[in-house]
Amino acid sequence: MMDLDERVAVLRDEVLDIAGGGSEDAPAVAIFDAIVRALAGGMDSAGGLDLTLHDAVARRLAWGDTEETILSDAELVFARLSRACQRALRDPEEEMLVLETGAEVVGAAARIISLAAVGRGGRDRAAALREELAQRRLKEALAEQTRTLARLEGDGRQF
Amino acid sequence: MTALTIRSAGNSHQGSVREHNEDALIVDPKWGLYAVLDGMGGAASGDVAANKARDVIHEYVRARRGAMQPRALLEAAINAASAAVHGEAQRRKDRKGMGTTVVACVIDGRRATVAHVGDSRAYLLRDGHLHRLTNDHTIVAELVARGAIAADEADRHAYKNVLSRNLGAKPQAAVDVSEVELQPGDRLMLCSDGLYGYAPADAVHHLVASTDPPAEVVRDLIEAALRGGGGDNVTAIVVEAGVAVVPRATMVLRTTGAGAWWARRERFLATAHAGGLHKSPLCALLGANEAIAIVAGNFADAVYHDLEKVTGVNVWTYAENLARGWLGQGGAWPPLRDLLDGLARAADQVLAELRREDEGLAGLIELAVARAMVTAETAVGGVLAERLRSLESEMVKVEAQKNEQKRADTARFVDSPTVPYMRAPQPIDVPAPDVAAALESARRRAQTKPSAGSGAGDRALYARAIDHAHTVASATGANDAALAARELWDVRTLDEAGVSPLFDALDHARLAHIEGVRAAPAAPAVRAAALRRVASAYQRLSAGIASLVVESAAPAAEQLREVVRETARLRAEVSKNEARIAELERAFATVVDPAAPEAMSTSPGAATIRDERKPSVPPGSRRRPSKETLR
Repeated sequence: MMDLDERVAVLRDEVLDIAGGGSEDAPAVAIFDAIVRALAGGMDSAGGLDLTLHDAVARRLAWGDTEETILSDAELVFARLSRACQRALRDPEEEMLVLETGAEVVGAAARIISLAAVGRGGRDRAAALREELAQRRLKEALAEQTRTLARLEGDGRQF
Repeated sequence: MTALTIRSAGNSHQGSVREHNEDALIVDPKWGLYAVLDGMGGAASGDVAANKARDVIHEYVRARRGAMQPRALLEAAINAASAAVHGEAQRRKDRKGMGTTVVACVIDGRRATVAHVGDSRAYLLRDGHLHRLTNDHTIVAELVARGAIAADEADRHAYKNVLSRNLGAKPQAAVDVSEVELQPGDRLMLCSDGLYGYAPADAVHHLVASTDPPAEVVRDLIEAALRGGGGDNVTAIVVEAGVAVVPRATMVLRTTGAGAWWARRERFLATAHAGGLHKSPLCALLGANEAIAIVAGNFADAVYHDLEKVTGVNVWTYAENLARGWLGQGGAWPPLRDLLDGLARAADQVLAELRREDEGLAGLIELAVARAMVTAETAVGGVLAERLRSLESEMVKVEAQKNEQKRADTARFVDSPTVPYMRAPQPIDVPAPDVAAALESARRRAQTKPSAGSGAGDRALYARAIDHAHTVASATGANDAALAARELWDVRTLDEAGVSPLFDALDHARLAHIEGVRAAPAAPAVRAAALRRVASAYQRLSAGIASLVVESAAPAAEQLREVVRETARLRAEVSKNEARIAELERAFATVVDPAAPEAMSTSPGAATIRDERKPSVPPGSRRRPSKETLR
């Protein structure tokens, strides 16, 4: 008898739509792998946080995926996994375990994405503040230049 | 005491920018008279003033050379010239304001008497050191002498080129005279500001200190000023006392190597041609000679400019332009690499030939060429790095588009599955009565379970999370989850302290809710159906909250973009103003005003424009303001 995580792992193509030409490197892969990892009990966790999932999501964000893309992929993986398990797993207890784990993983992903957005917002605000300080200096320089120009143009008119 | 053998030469060039040559010179070994005059004044009267003064001085000295001491003779000759120019200026309106500078020298035996008015200069080369014999008669120099401004302010002063004395402003000129006892090997050099203003000081020093004959030194001095931009008329006279026997190799070659490299430029081009440089794909659209002249010629010029430290296309700009042009039109890297190697090989061959003649000099130039090649490699590397960054950015864009496309495709897949046994998702339907009962039982059980948080706020949040999840799990509408997430979010600060408690409450509620479903008094299939709804509800709630967080953070990014745009706009405005100020300052400094020293003032407003003609300046040439006087 195969372990539950192995039986869920064979649903990979079905859940990730690889048979339909999907990418092996999409955010959905990170979510699905995290669910399988959690089912295997091998979560690289610190305080309930899957660090591997954290890294994977951070990498996707750095690569240019938007937060919305990752959330959408997570939702899709959960929906497909839910349907696939309903068909593939005969024992309702096993199905409930997969669903519980799936909900935990997508909840963790949502939390990671939220904190990343919060961090980005803070950085953006700090950068905007720096820009505003730079603008103040530039405005001072502009005022000084305006005075210089007025003086030079005034001198020129005297001739 | 025996008289020295005197060799002398002088020449004048109108420069690269001016339309007329307003300089004049006297080289008269018979009477021992040498002079450089630099005329000024509108409507082409600068050359009239200079030529008039030259003729008067020359005639005066010839007529009275035997009757007067050199000092008195020069003073009187210059005053006579000033009176003549002044008289001419008074007679004709179109010549009003014309004048000239003068630096003149009379050599009598071993004694050289130097007199000057204005900013034309005399230098003495003795024991390898070049000494300046004259002080410029400019406003700034006078102000420094009076202590009105500090010496280090002089170079930045708006009137640094405005003359305080000249010939022609008044009938009498205030002449400064000095005397020098010449020694064998001494050289006197008289010049106009077109020489020392454009030729690098080091180059002037080393050329005058070379053992080349005076005529060659004069030719090289003028060439150095022209390579430095040639923005003014250039005149130079070299007078050599006695014969100094020194090795043929000159100091200029030993010191900078620029002259030696320049002398071998043609050889370098020929070697590059023989090496097949013109066959490079980079030169595909050019004829052989044209390719060599452009590619190898510009490289040779750039090395020369770097060696002589003058303004012009340097190696960095050359290599950057080459790489940007070639790679920009889709050129491959290997041909560019081969071209650079070909240039290095041609330079090596020329250096090998030079090494046979003078090993020390070859070493010096080899170092300069090696430095130039390293600079070129670095510049090309910079262009490559820039292109890599650009490619990476393109790849990120393509990847993002791919993901976007995939998401769209995936959504279609959900509606119309390619795997036959998968059904399209059905709209959320009302749960069956047994499932609804299990859900209600789970909710009650979860609500009675104590929350993990200690505060009343945590407890309330936990209870609300369970209620909202129950509503979503039992609901029939697709928007219930989004509404529930918004209600849970309520009003929160956009930081970790605001966001984390919400997710903590959701996690605790989910665990308790699922535990409640498992414990519900129902068949396993019913419990599984209920759990499917509950798990899905929590997934949608957490995703909804995350979307709200992302949405709330978006204005900060938008604000940053706007602020960055505004900063860029301000920067551009500052740059524009800087350019405008520089333009005004340049225009201000080209004011010409024939002046009397008595009226000299430190106020910039005291100057009067006399000559508004501005010569056109070719791009890239260096300019300095023409000479002016202050009324």
